[in-house]
This record gives sequence, C-alpha cells and structure tokens, in this order.
Amino acid sequence: MNAAEIKSRLVENAAVIYPGIYLNQLRGESIESQCQELLASGVRNIVINFEETELINSIGISILLGVIESVNHSRGTLVLSNLNASNRELFEMLGLMSHVEMLDTEEVALAKLSGRVETVM
Amino acid sequence: MDLTFRKMLHNLSALSDLAAETSSAHNFNEVTRASLHTLLGALAIPRGAIARYTTKPRQLKIVAAKGSAGAVGLRIALRRDEAEWLADAPEPISVHAENNGLAGLVERNGELVKRLRADLFVPMIARGELMGLIYLSGKFTGEAYSKEDLEIVSAISRNIAIAFYNHRLLVSLKRKAEENRRLYAQMRQIYRDTVRAFGAAIDLKDTYTSGHSDRVARYAEAIAREMGLTGQELEHVGVAGYLHDIGKITVDRAIINNPRPLTEKEFGELNKHVTTGFEILSNIRHPWDEIAYMTKCHHEKVDGTGYPQGLRGDEIPLGSRIVTLADSFDAMMTDRPYRARLSLDRTLSDFRAQTGKQFDAEVIAAFCRLLLKEIKGTTRDRVFIPMIGLKFDKVAITATLNSMLVELDGSSPRYRSAAS
Repeated sequence: MNAAEIKSRLVENAAVIYPGIYLNQLRGESIESQCQELLASGVRNIVINFEETELINSIGISILLGVIESVNHSRGTLVLSNLNASNRELFEMLGLMSHVEMLDTEEVALAKLSGRVETVM
Repeated sequence: MDLTFRKMLHNLSALSDLAAETSSAHNFNEVTRASLHTLLGALAIPRGAIARYTTKPRQLKIVAAKGSAGAVGLRIALRRDEAEWLADAPEPISVHAENNGLAGLVERNGELVKRLRADLFVPMIARGELMGLIYLSGKFTGEAYSKEDLEIVSAISRNIAIAFYNHRLLVSLKRKAEENRRLYAQMRQIYRDTVRAFGAAIDLKDTYTSGHSDRVARYAEAIAREMGLTGQELEHVGVAGYLHDIGKITVDRAIINNPRPLTEKEFGELNKHVTTGFEILSNIRHPWDEIAYMTKCHHEKVDGTGYPQGLRGDEIPLGSRIVTLADSFDAMMTDRPYRARLSLDRTLSDFRAQTGKQFDAEVIAAFCRLLLKEIKGTTRDRVFIPMIGLKFDKVAITATLNSMLVELDGSSPRYRSAAS
C-alpha cells in the first residue's frame, strides 16, 4: 500500500498534522509514521488538526491509539483540535476524552503548547 | 445522540469496514492488518495480534500485530488438545483466568502475551474449524470488557475467521487450477509429441520424404499465422499438417517409392490415402473435430478438380487449403523418385499458374508475404529459407513475389493478416 501524502507544518515548538477528509488505514498509517519521524527528530509537541476530517473510522481510531501511545512513550504532548461534533462524540463514546487533550482550534492548541494560554479540559 | 445508539452505529460501521476490507482485492496480509485495526478501533483496544492456525505443522503463526514490533512471523506450537479446545470455545477466553484450559499455550506464548499485554484469546472459528487466534490487550481506557464488548469482539472475530476460511479456499482452488493447467499443458505436449511421432512414422514409408510431415506442419502453421489464425485454429492446422498423409500407411511401399510414372490403378491406390486417413482419424477423439476432415480435403482443388469429393473454393476447409500449399511446396522443393527438386523460381511459377485452380489466392498471398519477409530479413522466423537455401537470385525472386502480390491484390482478402 502506498503512503498517502499528509500535510503538516512546524510551528515554533510544535508540529501540526492535517489528516485530510477521511482518516482511514492508508492515511492513518501515514500519520503514524510521520509522528514517529517527528518524535525521532526531537519534536515533542504534536497537534493533529481535524478541521477537514469528516469521518474517522475504526481503523483510524486504532491507528490514533498507536500515535497516542508513541507520544506518551516519548514523554511528548499530543493535542487534537478542530474535531467536528460527530468525531468528538466518537472519542467521547470510546472514553478517550480523558486520555488525550482536545481543543477547539489549532491556535488554542498551539498557544497551550507554547505555554501562553491555560485551558480547562 | 444516545450513547448506546452511538456505540451500535460505530460497531455497525466497523463491521461494514471489515466487510469492505475482506471482500477487497487487496493483498491478504493487508486485509488481515486492516481487520485487526478494525477490531481494535471498534473498542479502543491499543494492542493485539492475529495468528493463523496451520495443521502441518500444528502451530499458530502471527500474521498481523499492533503494539509489538517484530511479532509478525512468530510461530507458536499448538497441541492437538489445545486446538480442539479452542475450536470448541464459544467465546473469548481470559488469558489470565485460572483453569482456562490454555495454561500450556499461555506459557509458550509468554513473551508475546507480555509484549501485547494480552488479556483475551479469541478463537477464530469458521464452519466449526479453528482458523486462528486473536490476541487482545485490555481496553485503552483501562475499563474491563463488558458483556456487549465481548459480543462485538466475537462478531468481528467470526467475520475475520470467515475471511480466513474463504482465503484458504481460494488459495487451494488457485493451486488446483494451476495444477490442472500444468497437467493440461503436459497433456497437450504429449498429444503434440504423439502427433509428431505419427508424422515421422508416416514419412518412414517413403524413402524420399523424410521429415516431410514435420515440414508441412511448420509451413502450414506459419501460413495460418500470417493469415491471422491464432490459438486452437492455428494449432489444429499444424496437427493436420503432421497427419495429412496418415492414410499412406496402408498404401503399398512399392507404389509410394515407384520411380516410374504410376499406372491408373496405382494412382487409384495412392489417392485412397485421403479417405483412409479420414477413417483412421475419425475414430480418434482429437481435441478438435475438424482435423480428420481437414486431412481428407488436402488434395481438393479450389477449382473443383481435386479429390476425393471435387469440392470448390470455400467448400474446402481453410486448414486444408493451407495444408495443400504447404504439402505442394515441400514436394516441389525435395527430390522425388521420379524427378529432382525444382528450383524456387519454377516452384513460384507453378504456384502463380495454379492460383485459383489448385491453390487458394489468399493462401498464396500469405505465403508470398512470408517468403518476402524471410528474404528481406524482416522476420526472425526462418521457416522456408532452410529448405530453399541461399542459392537463388534474391532480386529476381523478390520481384516475382512482389508482382504475384500485386496480382493477388485484386481479390478481396477474407482473412486479416496477423501482421497487418
């Protein structure tokens, strides 16, 4: 299976990843390998911006769990932002809200990671 | 949205994703990996693995894993009683429960169980057969599996097991189909070898025609190919070439090898070889029915003056018209008891004179095109040149062939050349 191209950018002390419209196996595995590369290169703060993501399927969830574990293992911080109501409900239903930080926007997430803003989960 | 309803939707969606994966044309390893992800993602389980069960040797082989690098490819021996026990297990089994009947397996799996933090063994059963085993860690949230969770795990595992069962069936069918193809190819080769052997046996009757049937078959096949025939059509023209003179085995050797002109009675005897050949070949179950009839008609002429039936034009099977020319070409280009071989120039002159009489114009045209290609060197195949040799006037022969083709262009071709 060929890796899907995933958009990302580095901002100060964090990296932002944009999964695109549909988080499935192909795109999920690309995100996972991209996160691992970022962690290996020393990046410790990662934001995944789900603004364009309409749907996360169960394969996507499984792969995201791997990303959460990798970031935790590297003592980094992962923040999910811009989740639509349906995807947020999915995380809630699976009981993941207390295991990964979710913020409304990428800007808030980056501010939080740079220590400029305090958020209440 | 109500949480229970939301969960149900998520699980249905997982089953739907699984169905799409297992029915996809993806590589089966990818399907297995996607199936594992689907199961893990349905209940937010961080680690797990799928092992395929094989009976020879009896073992579990890890074919997909998440959360344990290097687990894929691991093999774990499975005892017969353990396999039977798993095949009868109605639901997921707690790895750490006492008296779960799998203490030995857990012990042999120690390292993997530890790396995956496995909590559950889920046997994959399809049609009562053990297809494999799924290893699952606890849920990401740390909550215990609920009864509903275990039902979801069982439902998804059954679907994965069915995919394994179908895949095994498909692999087995492909193997059998491949074996059948190989046997069929062998059988065809034996058939062709037998046909060639018959051809060689026929030629042994005639001191002057050693290799005649073999050459006629090759010429006929080359002309048929040039005329656009392919596959079985092409092959049966070749077989007819090998067997066209089979009836001669009943003709007295003295008649066949007679250096003097034959008497009418001797001609009568000799000419019977086409009907005798037909009778011989009709009693054999060839892969193609036409062969016997094609050999019967190889002395027919398109103007209706041939034998044994006096057929005209298209009444004569195309294969016979091709064999007729191939047979004549070989006869003219070899020494015979009553004359020396003819020159190429003379042979072409006879062909030209007999076009539309003895020979079919389309067949003559295909022959001319082929010979031109060989003379010009525009084809790698050398079918006619080995017989003709190199001692001929290339310029003159090329001119003759071109002029014959110009004459033949007047007739509209019914068969498209493979080369065009």
